Amino acid sequence: MSRLDRWMENSSRALARRSGRRGFLARLGRVIAGGTVTGVAALPLLPVARGQASDESHGSRAAAPPEDIQGPEGDPNHCDYWRNCAIDGFLCGCCGGSSTSCPPGTEMSPVTWIGTCRNPLDKKDYLIWYNDCCGRNPCGRCFCNRNEGERPVYHPYRNNDINWCAGAESQVYNCSAAMIIGLAVEGQPEK
Amino acid sequence: MRLLSAALLVTGFAAAGVQALAADGVAARDVKMAQHDYLLNCAACHLLGGQGSRTVPPLADTGRLFALPGGREYLGRVPGAAHSPLDDKRLAAVLNWMLSRFGDTTADPPYTAGEIGRLRAQPYLDPLAARRRLLAGH
Repeated sequence: MSRLDRWMENSSRALARRSGRRGFLARLGRVIAGGTVTGVAALPLLPVARGQASDESHGSRAAAPPEDIQGPEGDPNHCDYWRNCAIDGFLCGCCGGSSTSCPPGTEMSPVTWIGTCRNPLDKKDYLIWYNDCCGRNPCGRCFCNRNEGERPVYHPYRNNDINWCAGAESQVYNCSAAMIIGLAVEGQPEK
Repeated sequence: MRLLSAALLVTGFAAAGVQALAADGVAARDVKMAQHDYLLNCAACHLLGGQGSRTVPPLADTGRLFALPGGREYLGRVPGAAHSPLDDKRLAAVLNWMLSRFGDTTADPPYTAGEIGRLRAQPYLDPLAARRRLLAGH
């Protein structure tokens, strides 16, 4: 029975990766940016396309980060997911939200910390915005503690031990999201 | 909605920054580097659009502060600038870019690595008091 469960889970995840809304919109974004419509570089697409939009405004063309990675590095609800390279906390995707949004009833802290993670498919570094979601008790699911490029608290802009909910209405930490805000020119210097 | 707003901020931010500084003769690659450095080292608190938060002042103020006597020095001595991990040259580029992008002004002459090196060697121990003195005109 457990083997059947695992098979169903893996099949569902694989199907979601192939046919999910994010994948569809990312592909659509690539088609649009590929030249079918000109002058649309500033169109706001999903967060995964921000790097592309930002980069194209400089006159160069970069593809949206590939998201069809197999295994844990391609599963946003897994600690090994590539964007979670310096996360410390509960993954919002396991808590009723997603890797880019907060669970209902929580508020995204406006202040946060920013680092870079390398996408294993295109080998490019992306700027990742780690946002804490605040206002409900700690989620308690999918705890991850990866600290690549993290630095002690006296470097607050590189520290993931800080309760970034200090910038929100409620200082009660619930979970953490990891969003792409752009294509990095280079990896963060601490790596 | 929050994500959409953030996406709009980032895309508008990139386009406006490049256009403004390209007009000043700053190479696009330098603008791109300054924008990258801003996002990685400043945006965590000043936020993607420079709007600041409850505890961090908005960068739209920088144009007004820069124009005050002592304002140029002030911006190079505040903790976020003086203690930044960026070297003097890249910090100078970020300040020049930031004034254009958020402060609606231009550093004329632009900050240089040498000037930034001198300023950041004297970081404010009490930046809030320094800001009050700057605004009071002494």
